[in-house]
Formats: sequence, C-alpha cells, structure tokens
Amino acid sequence: MIEILLIILAPIIGGFIYGAERIVRARMQNRLGPPLLQPFYDMYKLMDKQAFIINSYHTILGIMHFVTLWVVVAFVIVGQNLLYIIFLHLLSSIFLILAGFSVKSIYSHIGANRELIAMIAYEPILIMLAVAFFMLNGSFEISAIRENSSALFSIPLLFLAFLLIVPIKLKKSPFDAIQAHQEIIGGVEVEFSGIFFEFLYMAKLLEYVFIYALVMLFAGDSFILALTLFLAVFFLVNLLDNSTARIRIDHLIKIVLVIGLTLATLNIIGLSYV
Amino acid sequence: MILGLLILAPILFSFVVFMTHLVTRNILVILFVIFLSVISVFNLISLSSVVEIALPHYFHNIFVFLDSVVLIFFLWQGIVKKHALVIALALVQIILYCEVLFLVPTLESSDILVDNIASIMYLIINIVGGIIIIYALKYVESENFSQIKKNGFIAILFLFLGVMNFIVSSNNIEIFFMLFELTTLFSYVLIAYRGNAISVENSLRALWMNQIGGVAILLALILSISHYDTLYFDILIHNRDNLFLLPIVFLILAAFVKAASIPFNKWLIGAMVAPTPVSAILHSATMVKIAPFLMLKLAPAMSGFVSISVTLIGTFVFFTASLLALNKDCFKEILGLSTIALLALMMALAAVGSEQAINATVVLIVFHAISKALLFLQAGILEKNFHLKYVDDIDGLINHSPLTVFFIIIGFASLTLPPFGAFIAKFMAIESIAQEILKNPLYIFALIFITLGSVFLTLLYFKVVTKLFAKNVDFQQEHTKLSNYYVIPSFLLLFLLIIGIYVTFKMELLSSIQIITPVILIAVVPFLFATLLFKKAHRVKEYNCGEKEEIKLGMYYFNVSPNYKKAISIVAIFGMLVLIVGVML
Repeated sequence: MIEILLIILAPIIGGFIYGAERIVRARMQNRLGPPLLQPFYDMYKLMDKQAFIINSYHTILGIMHFVTLWVVVAFVIVGQNLLYIIFLHLLSSIFLILAGFSVKSIYSHIGANRELIAMIAYEPILIMLAVAFFMLNGSFEISAIRENSSALFSIPLLFLAFLLIVPIKLKKSPFDAIQAHQEIIGGVEVEFSGIFFEFLYMAKLLEYVFIYALVMLFAGDSFILALTLFLAVFFLVNLLDNSTARIRIDHLIKIVLVIGLTLATLNIIGLSYV
Repeated sequence: MILGLLILAPILFSFVVFMTHLVTRNILVILFVIFLSVISVFNLISLSSVVEIALPHYFHNIFVFLDSVVLIFFLWQGIVKKHALVIALALVQIILYCEVLFLVPTLESSDILVDNIASIMYLIINIVGGIIIIYALKYVESENFSQIKKNGFIAILFLFLGVMNFIVSSNNIEIFFMLFELTTLFSYVLIAYRGNAISVENSLRALWMNQIGGVAILLALILSISHYDTLYFDILIHNRDNLFLLPIVFLILAAFVKAASIPFNKWLIGAMVAPTPVSAILHSATMVKIAPFLMLKLAPAMSGFVSISVTLIGTFVFFTASLLALNKDCFKEILGLSTIALLALMMALAAVGSEQAINATVVLIVFHAISKALLFLQAGILEKNFHLKYVDDIDGLINHSPLTVFFIIIGFASLTLPPFGAFIAKFMAIESIAQEILKNPLYIFALIFITLGSVFLTLLYFKVVTKLFAKNVDFQQEHTKLSNYYVIPSFLLLFLLIIGIYVTFKMELLSSIQIITPVILIAVVPFLFATLLFKKAHRVKEYNCGEKEEIKLGMYYFNVSPNYKKAISIVAIFGMLVLIVGVML
C-alpha cells in the first residue's frame, strides 16, 4: 500500500527535493531563495500557458520519456531487478534523445548528442554497481539488497564512483554540459514549452527520485543510514554545484570513465578476493 | 529423414530455380522457403532425443572428391587471379589434406549428430535465410545481370542453406572441413558476383582469410588423429587431455577467422561490395554463424586457461569492434562491424561455458540473426530505392519512407533495449560473467569490455537512428511506395522478433511484468504517432537564437588513428598467440 502511494507521489517527492535544493543553494550563496513549494507554483503556471509545439513526434517522445521514467522509479520502489532497471532507464533516455533529434533545432540536437555521449560515462559504472550488488547479495533484486545489511563498507570505492555520476544525471555542475543553460539553452529541453514542458519538468523530478533511491540502496536495511546518505549526498552535490565551473563534455567522459572505472574495478577485484 | 530433406532439398531447389523462368521461379522459391521453414520447425518439435547417424562409406569418397575439387579450384583461382597468398594457402591446404587422408584413425563415432542447438540453427538458417532469399528475388532483378546469372544467384543462396544445414549437423571434423571450405567457396563466388575490380579484390581477400581457417582446421584434424586417434567432435571432446588441447585451440582459431574477428575483420567488411542480400545472408543466417556454433560445440572442452583467454579475446574484440564502428560512415559498414562485435561476444560467452552463458549465446545467435537480417534488408532498400549508402545523407528519411525508418529503429532497438531477445542475452551475459568473477577476478576485464562495448554499440545505433529522424515540419511529400518483395520479408522478420519476445517470456528469466512493460511502452509509440496529432496546439518554428541561416547538422565520429588500429590488431594477435603457446606449455 505504502509502495503504491510512493509511486503515485514520486514526482511530488521529487518536487520537494528540488524545492529544498533551490533553498539550500540560495543559502550557500547568501540569498534567501524561493519558497519550498516553488516548483509546484512553476508547474501550475506552466499549465496556464498557451500550447506551442514543433511537431507531434517531438511532443509524444517527450511524454514517453516521462512515462518510462515513472515506470523505472516505480520498479525501484517495488524492489525489482536492478540490472533490468538500468536498462529500462536506458530506454527512457533513448526516448528523450530521439525527441531531441526529431526537431531541426541546433540546440536540441547538441543537447541530445551530449545526452547520448554522456551515456558512455555513466552506463558502465551503473552496470558495475549492479554487478557488485549481485556479488554481495547473490541477486540483482533491489528487495534483496534492501533486506541485507549496508553494502557501503564492502563497496566504498564503488560508492565514490557512483558519486561521480550523480551530478551527470542530476545535471549539476561540474558535469552539467548536457544541459548547459548558458551555451546551449537547456539542450533537449529547449523546444518544449507550456504544458508539454511540464512533462519534461516532472521527468527531471523523477530523475531526482531515481538517483537518490539508488544512493539509499547503499544503506541496505538501515533506515537511518539511508537518510544520512541521502542528506550527505544532497548537501555535497549542491555544494559542488555552487563551487565548481562546468567542464567540457569530452573532459567529462574522460574524467568519469578513467576515475570511475578504476575505482569500480579495484572494488570488484577486492570483492572477489574476500 | 528430416535431416536428409534439410540438406538435399535446398540442393534440388537450387537446380530447379536455376532452370525456371521469372514468374514460375518466384512462386517456386516462395513455396520452397515455406517448405524448408515448415520442416525445420517440425524438426524442432519432433526432436525428442539426440539423433545420430553414421553415413555409409561411399559417402566418404564423395566428400573426398568434393574437397579435392574445391581445393584445386582455390589453387586455380589463385593462379588465374595471380594472387600469391591464395596459391600458397591452397598448396598448404592440399598438402595437409593429403596427410589427413593417409592417416587412418580407429575410434569411430556417428558422422551426423543433431542435438537441440543444431535444431535451433536449422530454424535460423531456413527461416531467416529463406526470408532473405525471397527478398533477393526482387533485389536481383534490379541488378545488371543476365537472366541466367540472376537465377544462378538465387540458386547459390539455396545451396548455401543446404551446406549450412549440413555443417551444423556434422560430427565428423573431416566433413566439417569440407563444408567449411564449401561456405568459403560460396562466399567467394557471391562476393565476386558483380564482377568489377573491387569485388574481385575483396573476394580474394575473403578467400585467403578463410583459407587460414581451413588450414587451422586441417592442423586440428592432424593433431586430433595423431594424438586422440579420432576425427569426431564428440570423441575428441569426451577424451580430451588437458595437457594436449592444441586441436581444440586450432578449431577455436578457425572459428575466429570465420567470425571475422579482429585481425581478420577485413574480409567481412570487404564483403559489402556484393549485392545486399549476400551481406544479409552472410551476416545473419549463414557463414559467420558457424563460428559461435563451433564454439558452442567445443564449450564443454574449454576450461581454465583456454576458457578465460578465449573470453578475454572475444570481449576485447567486442569492445574494439564497437569502438571502430563509431568511426564509420557507411551504413553497411556500421552493420558489419557491429556483427563482428556481437559475434565476438557470442564466442566469448560460449567460452565461459556455464549453463547460463551457453543459453545467452544461443539467444544472442537467434536474435542477432533476425535483427541483422532486418537491418540489412533495409540497407538494400536504402540503396535501391533512395540511392543512399552513407549515414550522413539519410537526413529526414522519415519524410520519404516512414516504414523503412520504422524497421531500422526496430532493428537497432531490438539489439539493445528491453524487451527484445538480444537484451535478454546481454542481461544473462552480465549475470554469468558476474558469477565467474567470484571464481576468477580476471573476468572483471571481460565485464569492463562488455559494458563499454555495449554502451558503444548503443551509442552507434542511436546515432544512426537520430539521423533518420530529423523531421521537417512544413515538408509534406508523397511517401515512396516500396515493392511487396521488400516489405513482406521485413514484416516477417518483425513477426519473428515478436515471437521472440514470447519465447523470452517463456524462459522465465524476467517476470511477466518486466517483459510486458517495455513491450507496451515501445508499442504505444507508433500508435500515438498515428493518432495523437495535437490539432489544438499551435505550430511554431524551432528556436534559433534569431539566426536566419539554414542549419545543416553533421554527425560525430570517433576518430581512431591508424596507429591505434594497428595496436588493436597486434593485441588481438598477441592474445591468440598466448592462447596457442599457453596450451602447448
């Protein structure tokens, strides 16, 4: 029952995280920041806007991105197979990428292109993460991971590798070249507007839920550790976002792959010897 | 009985096809394909246990005769075309073959052995291969061949199916060698079919590279006879002596050659100059599929050192071939390199040898065949109807032929995304490798190669797909009408993919909700495209920062410098040498 409630409320939870994030970031910059409910005010405002579209394919693919991502989050909450979820998440990214390419807009294309290239950076690490959990629990099921005790101390290096890809997925500096508002005006988002942008907006919120749910997997069955991890990562990501400059997409790939894969490999080799 | 039909009927068909005229030929071919498909399905259903047949001795003489003819033909071709390498390899093969004929092994077994894997191979060969032949009926009409040559083309394709049916059921390495050489011969003839300079050059390259495979099999045969006193696969595998695995390693090398693994990749890429149905049939149903099949046959004999080295070589090739493919612009070359990559993955998985890895290999063989056939058929359509060869030119194909775009997207999606079979195979592959890491940490490198390679392939496929997709809003044009001979085979392959989803459903690896969800998510998209038009929303132009200039978007490529390419080949050769030397020590 609580799972169904969580699934239905997932975008709203994401909205609260996003709202809190805007406050935290503002405080870091010595500003007051918007109210906690600002994302919901934004959404309400978007609903009132006149509907503009480029073509129907573009809009439909954007909506499918949101729907698929919601399904992914639902599977995480229910506790399905982690490896499967990673590939389903890939499907949702593919919808977004296709949407980005289905219009003849230079910014949309560059954004989608970067989205595609960024996959090289995060996919392998996500899969390695799933494999490490499999080696620890003998199963890819998230429900099994949640029942066992915390994996954080068996796979600390993988946790670090995972931390590297959190800013990519959340589009945070220094790894926010995918959306880069100042240079490619939001990338894939640029051609969506009004109520149709809302789907993309909610998809972003769902991505928050997805990533933080994965962070909490490291805590295993301990709720307190899960909460601590969530708060720590939340604070760290925003601190980094405020204090670093954006790096180029090719540097992003190199840095994340070299450091992330090395950490993950060392950790898994270590695991197989234990 | 069924087996005899599967082998002999295509040979008979090829003669009939050769003799008949256009209209009757097309009808007959369709009937023949249906016939072969039905028998292969019937064979799978009725096969209760492994079928073993010993062929009478006079067959042996026929085989020796055929083999000699083929080898002498190779020598003759080498002399006519003045190709030293072909001559040299043909001579080596003839000498080794004579030696094999002089040796008389005593341990006997059955010549023909049909197990589950062979039955599944029959399905791929006859159904997917058959569909490609139907497609070829129309395709070959648009070539500049004489009528006899056109009929001959279809006839050779049928012969190819017959030989393939035979090769997957042979248990005798000598017969296997003969059939291996016959497939080399057919591919040689088919690649050279257009007869221009580049075709001839590429066909000769395919010939000598495959001859290396032939030499490897002959060496394996001699070693097997001298050490194990047998020329049968099952006895060789059963009696294997872990101190003398050289014959098995040579067979593995032959498989690497047939699969066009790096450094032998040039022949399969060169095969692109042939008419597209040839590429389709070589890449999906026949020829290269011998390699993973042979690996599956040898899998029980691989353990420890051999297993891990083959897995590492295979996954390395998977990774590098995917990377190299990112550098290519020609649609068929992209498909070709992705075939090489996936074949290497299949062989690596077969070498892992756990039950799940074997299942993953079989699933991958089947679904790769279907998806690649579908993609190559589209490549042919692009070439014939739209005169497109390069990915950079296929901008906005969706305006001209949404159906072709749809098939290409499905083809690529079926190689990467859930719920399609290839995804299931990738899933099982990662799981089985994860289990191996627990036993041997070296498998971590296999895992890295697989994850990186598969993400590169995803990148590659969707880079192509996105290019097709760019839609021009105010551009409304009549869609190009495609011939039924092109459309129906594509739909049949799509149908096979859907059946495939049902089969994966039955495998119970994933729960039903896990399969049904992506099916719905993907199936709903074309439906929405057709129905949801957003009539009320206002149409606007793209935001262009106020610039008025027309934009032309290019593609990105990963430039792999020649030095790296050399390094990759050297690493692959080094890996194979390590394998050979390691086994000898």
